[in-house]
Amino acid sequence: MDKWIKSTVLIVLLIILSSCQDMIEVEKESFVIAIGMDVTDQEGIYEFTFQIANPNIASPMTADPNGAPDEILTVLGADIMTAKDKADAIVTKRISLDHTAIFVISEELARSGDLLRVIQPGTRTSHMRHDIQIIVSKEKAETFLNNNNPIFEQKPYKYFQYKITQTKETGIIPYADLHRLLQITEGDADLFLAIYATTIHDEEEIEKSEDQYLAGELLQKGGDKTQFMGSAVFKNGKMIDLLTAQETRIANLLDRTVPLNNILVTYTDPIKPEFYISGNYIQTKNPDIKIDYDAKANHATIDVTVLFEFEILAIPSLISYAENNEHKEILEKHLVETNTQLAKKFIEKTQEEYRSDPFYWSLYIRKYFKDVPSYEKADWHNNIYPNAEVNIKYELKRLQFGKTMSDTNLSEVRD
Amino acid sequence: MRINTKLTTYEICALTIIFIGIKLTDTTPTLLSNSTQNAFWYIPLISFIVMFPFFLITLYLLNKYKADHLVDLLQILLGKTLGKALAFFIFIFSFFLSAFDFRSYVNQIKLLYFDKSSITIIFALLIFISIFGAIRGIKVIGYTARVFFPLFQFSLVLLIILVYPSLVFERIYPIFGSGLSNVMYEGIFKGSFFSSFILLMMILPVARKPENFYKGTIMGLIISVLQIVFLFLIYATFFDYKSIERVPYPFHDVALYIDLGSFFTNIETFFMTFWLFAVFIRFILLLYLNTWLFGATFDIDNFELLILPMGFLIMVIGLIPDNIIVNEFVYRNHLLNLNTIFLFIVPVILLICHFFKRKKV
Repeated sequence: MDKWIKSTVLIVLLIILSSCQDMIEVEKESFVIAIGMDVTDQEGIYEFTFQIANPNIASPMTADPNGAPDEILTVLGADIMTAKDKADAIVTKRISLDHTAIFVISEELARSGDLLRVIQPGTRTSHMRHDIQIIVSKEKAETFLNNNNPIFEQKPYKYFQYKITQTKETGIIPYADLHRLLQITEGDADLFLAIYATTIHDEEEIEKSEDQYLAGELLQKGGDKTQFMGSAVFKNGKMIDLLTAQETRIANLLDRTVPLNNILVTYTDPIKPEFYISGNYIQTKNPDIKIDYDAKANHATIDVTVLFEFEILAIPSLISYAENNEHKEILEKHLVETNTQLAKKFIEKTQEEYRSDPFYWSLYIRKYFKDVPSYEKADWHNNIYPNAEVNIKYELKRLQFGKTMSDTNLSEVRD
Repeated sequence: MRINTKLTTYEICALTIIFIGIKLTDTTPTLLSNSTQNAFWYIPLISFIVMFPFFLITLYLLNKYKADHLVDLLQILLGKTLGKALAFFIFIFSFFLSAFDFRSYVNQIKLLYFDKSSITIIFALLIFISIFGAIRGIKVIGYTARVFFPLFQFSLVLLIILVYPSLVFERIYPIFGSGLSNVMYEGIFKGSFFSSFILLMMILPVARKPENFYKGTIMGLIISVLQIVFLFLIYATFFDYKSIERVPYPFHDVALYIDLGSFFTNIETFFMTFWLFAVFIRFILLLYLNTWLFGATFDIDNFELLILPMGFLIMVIGLIPDNIIVNEFVYRNHLLNLNTIFLFIVPVILLICHFFKRKKV
C-alpha cells in the first residue's frame, strides 16, 4: 500500500518537472541575434528591427543551401518589449531575447539622447545578458542590418561574435557592452565609447595614415560591406562626437579596464618622411597613473607614464635602423615623440571639447575621498578633469627588429 | 550509509556554511547598498564583530550549564514560565523572519526562471520539498549537507574565476561609502543577518560530542562570514556603487554575464542548479529548527508531526506581501532591525541571570 502511494506521488511530481506554465519547447522559440533601433517622426515611438537566426543552418543535415541565414523584421514600438510582442504576431515561433548579441542604434537616435530610454528593458528583464555589444551605425539600423551580408559566415550569431572579438584585438573599436554602458553612465564620471560601424562607404578616399579612418571611409573593393571602425562618444547617455580609429586606440591603451596590448601601427619614417614604418606596438603593463590631488583647490595634476615596446615589421625605405646606432637612436626618439604628441593632442581635445575623459580615469581619484557624497561634490566630470594638468610621457622599453638582421641594400642591387 | 550516527564536526560545519552563507546569493547586497552605497561589502564583517561576543556568551552558558539546547538553557536560567515566554518570543520572531525569507527566495526563483507560473505554486512546491526533507530528520539533513557542500563551493570558485577579469578593484573607493556614521549604523543594526544562528543552537543534542557542536558552529560561522565578505567584494567591484542599488539579485546577474569560452555562453543555469540545492537545504533546516523550537517551548516530544502544519502556516504568511519591494524594504528591513536589538538583549539577560545564580550558590 505504502509503495503504491509513494509511486503515485513521484509520478505526479514528474509532471511538475515541465515547469508549469513556463514550459516551451526549444523548437517553438526563435532567437533574436541583433536588435536595431531607430527614431521615427513620433516622439516616444521607435522602430525596432529584429534579426532572427535560422536554426536550420546550425546543423549540416537540415541545412538548405538556398535557405536564408536569418530573417529580418521591422516593427514600431514604444520599447523593446512592445515591439517583441508585435513581432511575435508575425513570426511562427515565439521570440526569445536570451541570445541577443548586439544592439544597433542609429546615429540619429544616439544623438537625440534617448539611448537610455530605449535600452532600459535590457536592465529590467532578466532575459537579456549584459554582455550585449552596443553598436552605433551611421545609417538607419534597419538599413545596416539588411545590408550586412557576410560572405563566409552563415550563422549571424557567430559572425557578430567572431567579428567583434577579432576587431577588438586590433584596438580600432572600443570595449562596449551593456554592462560597461550602465556602469559608466550611472557612475556619471566618464565618457562611454560605443562601436561605430556602417555598411555605406564614402565615395572617395581621402588620404590618411592607416588608422585615422572612421567606419565607411576605408576604400575597399570586394569583401564584406560592413566596416567596424572608430567609436561614438557618449556623455551622460547622449552622443556628442565620433572618434577615429587612431583616437579609439589611444583611448583603449590608456584605459586600464580595457585589456588591449598588442597592435600594429604605422609611423612616418624619421629619415625619409615620404615612407612609413610599421610595427607591433606592445604595452605589457597598464600605464602608470599618478594623481596629485589638492583637496582645497579641487585641482589635480595627473602624471601618466606609458611603458611600451616596439617590434619593427616593415621598413619600406630600406634604411638600416638595426645596424646603425645613430639611426636607431633617431628612430627611438621619433617613436616616443610621435606617441606623446598624439596622446597629448587627444587628451587636450577631451579636456576642452568633451570636458570629460574616455579613459575611466575617475577610478584613480576615488581613493582621495573618504566617502561618496564628498566624491560626488568634487565632480570629476565637470570640475576636476577639465581643469587638470595632464603630463603624459611615453618610454620605449625595448626595440625589436623581427627576423632579418639587415635589409636589402637597394643601391647594391640596382646596377 | 552512516545515517544512524550523530552529526560530526564536518557535517555541522557544512550545515552552518550553507545555512548562513547562502545570504550572499539573495537581495542582501541591494538592501545594504541602499544606505551605505559602495561600502556594503564589509558591513557583514562589522555585524559579525559586533554580534560575535554575544554568540560566544550564549555558547559559553550552554556549555556551563550542560543544557540540552537553547530552550532548556532559558528555562534553567530564567525559571520555567519566564524561560518559556522568552523562548516563545524568539520563536515568533524567527518564524516571521523565516516566512519572509521563504518569500524572498520564492520571488527570486519566479523572477529569474519562471516568469509565467503563479507564485503560489512555486511557494507550495518549495514548502512541499521542505516538509519532505524535514520529516526525514536532522541526521539525514546533515548527511546531505556534507555530500553537497564541496559541490557548492566548487560552483562558487568557478564563478569567481570566470568573473575575475571583469573586476575593477578601484571601485571599492571611496572607502566609507555614504559616510562613516551610516556604515556604523548599518553594521550594528544588521547584526540579525546572523539571527539564524540562534536557531542553529538547537542542534546541540544531535551532535556526537558537545565539542563537535561548538567547534563546528564557530568554524562554520567564521568561514561563512569570510565567504560573504569576499563575494560582496566581488559584487562591489563588478557593479559600481550606483548600479548595485538597481540590481536585486547580484549573484544571478554575475552568472548571466560570464561565459566559458566562445561556445558555452549562457551558463547561468549551471550555477542555478547548485544554488537551488543550497536553498533547499537551508529551508529544510529552517523549517525543522523552527518546529523544534516550537516543540521545545511547549514540551512537545514528537514535534516532527508539527512540521506539516508549520510549513503550511509559513506559506500563508509568506504570501502576504504584494511584491518584492514591499517584502524587502518594509517587512524584512523592520523585522531585521528589531531582531538585532532582540539578539543583543537576550544574551545580556542570560548573562545577568548567570551572575545572579552564581551569587546565590
